[in-house]
Amino acid sequence: MSTTVDLPVSGPAVVPARRTGFWRNLWKVLKRKPSRMVGAAIVAVFVLTGIVGPWLYPDNLPRDSDQILAGPSASHLLGTDFEGTDVLALLITGTRYVLVAAAFAALITVLIGTAFGLYAGYRRGAPDSVLMRITDFVLTIPGFPLLLVLSTVWKFSSALQMGLVLGLTGWGGLARSVRSATLSLRERGFVEAARGLGMPTRHIVTRELLPNIAPYVAMNLLIGVTTFIYSQVGLFYLGVLPFTSNNWGVMIQLAVTNGVTQTGAGLGYLMAPLVSILLLTLGVVLLVDALDEVFNPRLRED
Amino acid sequence: MKRRAFAGLTAAGGFAAVMGTAGCTDSSDSSSADVFTAIETEIDANAPINPYNQKTNSFQGYNAMKLGWAKNSLTDANAFYPALAASWSETPDHLKLTVKLRPDAKWSDGKPVTADDVKASAAVSFSQGGGAFAVAPGAAGGVGAVKVIDAHTIEFDQSPGSSNNSFLRNVLNMWVVPNSVYGPQMPANIWDLIKTATDPKASKKDQAAAQGKVQALGKKLVEFGPKKDVSAGPFVLQRVNPGEAVLVKNTHFFDADKIAPSKVVLKNYSGNEQIWNYLIAGELDAAIYTATPANVRKKILAKQGNKMISGFSPVAAALAFNQSVKPLDNVHVRRALAYLIDRKLTTKIGESIGGAPSQTTTGLISDAANAWIGQAAVDKLNQYPHDAGKGEAELKKAGMSKKGGQWIQANGKPFTLQLQVPNGFSDWIAGGKSISSQLTDAGIKTEVKTSADYATYLSEIAEGKYQLGFWLIALGPSTHDAYARLYGPSNGWNQFGANVQHSAPGKNGNWMGGAEKATIPGLGTINPGELTNKLAQANEAQQKEIVAKLAAYSNDQLPAIQIWDYTNIQFVNESRFTNYPKNDSDVLRLHPGMWMQLGYIQKKK
Repeated sequence: MSTTVDLPVSGPAVVPARRTGFWRNLWKVLKRKPSRMVGAAIVAVFVLTGIVGPWLYPDNLPRDSDQILAGPSASHLLGTDFEGTDVLALLITGTRYVLVAAAFAALITVLIGTAFGLYAGYRRGAPDSVLMRITDFVLTIPGFPLLLVLSTVWKFSSALQMGLVLGLTGWGGLARSVRSATLSLRERGFVEAARGLGMPTRHIVTRELLPNIAPYVAMNLLIGVTTFIYSQVGLFYLGVLPFTSNNWGVMIQLAVTNGVTQTGAGLGYLMAPLVSILLLTLGVVLLVDALDEVFNPRLRED
Repeated sequence: MKRRAFAGLTAAGGFAAVMGTAGCTDSSDSSSADVFTAIETEIDANAPINPYNQKTNSFQGYNAMKLGWAKNSLTDANAFYPALAASWSETPDHLKLTVKLRPDAKWSDGKPVTADDVKASAAVSFSQGGGAFAVAPGAAGGVGAVKVIDAHTIEFDQSPGSSNNSFLRNVLNMWVVPNSVYGPQMPANIWDLIKTATDPKASKKDQAAAQGKVQALGKKLVEFGPKKDVSAGPFVLQRVNPGEAVLVKNTHFFDADKIAPSKVVLKNYSGNEQIWNYLIAGELDAAIYTATPANVRKKILAKQGNKMISGFSPVAAALAFNQSVKPLDNVHVRRALAYLIDRKLTTKIGESIGGAPSQTTTGLISDAANAWIGQAAVDKLNQYPHDAGKGEAELKKAGMSKKGGQWIQANGKPFTLQLQVPNGFSDWIAGGKSISSQLTDAGIKTEVKTSADYATYLSEIAEGKYQLGFWLIALGPSTHDAYARLYGPSNGWNQFGANVQHSAPGKNGNWMGGAEKATIPGLGTINPGELTNKLAQANEAQQKEIVAKLAAYSNDQLPAIQIWDYTNIQFVNESRFTNYPKNDSDVLRLHPGMWMQLGYIQKKK
């Protein structure tokens, strides 16, 4: 379950020195194409929903048993579920778990994958062999089946637990890519100069190599979020995880088992989580397009 | 209850079985006018043609036969239609059962069905154990002797020491297999082994050795299956592949002229959705009971020719308590939950088509309770109407108080619950979610937890891992079987010979952890396990008296809250065949192959 994007190994960009420059560049790049603004807006809406969503509704969502699997209406914009609960409310209150789990998984992937890749690529030799064998081992683990097995003993009741397991099984690809990039970077002049000046390994890895890998890693972080959303929703869809009625995977599963695909009744219950996943993926992809240009000056059009 | 299946087949294995059986299938099988297409069970192309194997290519009523077919009766568990048995008679004390076979019954290889076949089947049944064929000395209601009187007459004697009223139905329910096929698989001294294994007078050493040999034989026999089907039913298996089993008419069947289809195609399925799709497309002439939401039912019935048949089902879904978990050991808490749960609403959410809200908790489905003890007596029981006020009063009696909308136990801890349901059971999941919402609204935060599958659910519930979960009860028509779900091994009462002994909670499968005895107003102190055991040997009048006590006990003590009674819903299609059973027919719990034997299902003219 690895997630990577292509790295411009031949010419790593130099990260802007100051954060203000980054944000100014990002805004400029976003404005250049409307699609990027759309992507940023989509991601912002989901993040905002994840943060404030659960506060907008009571813990126990209201139900209307006369409106079971109802279609969209003024009172239920996306229809209702099998219990007559508003689908929009389910979607909004369920966003936090999905995003937190996916973001935490992506963060763990990035932390472990980057640390392993950087250190192995820079040090080479025995550390490289050991770390890459560990990486190979992680890569050979079939992530999704492993999660299925783990779900029988671990109930993933919190989003952080889910994110932790997803992240621990998903960093192998990133570690490999970062190592490749590091192998190339370590031969470049500025790294050789640092070595020549007697800088310690920690300084070279964190101050010379990491800033040049960071753009790539940041983009992986975002792409990883979408990948891990698919993974966790898939697990919930299979019904191997605890029942949480507002989880997007559970919503899809229950829509199917309540005959929505056969009859079309309550289509909003099925489509709402599916469209959300698609929208979120689209938003991330569009945003990554902008980040790519920010981090890679050669792509800039101005 | 949702049926859920996992095919678990490999393409290679399936293909090998196809070739081994008959060759490949063709898509024209189900399109011919006299081909009957149905869904009965999951198809496993690698399964043996052996009705004793749970995964089997012997399909009941089609190519697997019994002595009789059980009628769907509210009160008479011994009501049967003749199948391979033409008639039977039982002594009033249930000790001797004489079965006369149909003289014209033949196997598909042309050989007659004889008493030797039935005796061989009894030996196979002993090797599998259970019921009347338990390989244990002095087992209540066990078969003590099997005597072949003549080629078509056979006698079964019940073991001395008990006169169990389930003896007849357990014997008639035995699968009958050909002696010519299964006889050679058993040692010549099989009946000596069975006698030693079940004889209370035999030495313990000999008994244990014989039991071991019979059980080892059982393992071998259950895996055995002939390469070619030898059937006494109306059909014989022609071929099977992972997608379907094809059976052709058995020309030697004794009532072959009653059987309209020349061929039967039994489709495989892996979940409810697949059955719904077949039904919506009008491709099935009949399907097994399938939990169906209202919207799907509407779509199915919109297809020309599709029709729904319904009748009662002697099964109820209940919310059972693990009384080892505090405060569920407090009867006031259980009563409070019974008042706080709206059964009507829960049924609407969980099982709107295949279920009816239970009138109250009696341990029997509502119709059976009314039939056994009368509507007036049932009405006198506590109906546990949905009443938040009464629920709160019961919680206060249990020493709880409400703070900030949440019920707090006497020890200061919030009263929360975890309700367990198995994954794949859509009605229990939806019903459980509804209950959790209702209880959370009432101030008892309730979380629904799912188990990976039903097997895991049963195993974990038996280990006492759950606080409360869905549990099937009222499994009739036998009153003993129905109450054994509440006062049997799962609640601590295990059979020892003709008697029962109570085990402490957590031991010998006792996960419900209810009290061994309780005092019921107007009835005194009652031991429900002992009363349940007495049902097995009681006559009708005695059963009525005992059922009245057990219904009152269940209603007062609430080891489980009865939520809904299941309704047997079946879909058929009248485009190709007609004359299906009517609503509420006593054959509705039988399968279409049995319907055909009873004269139902004729070609549409």
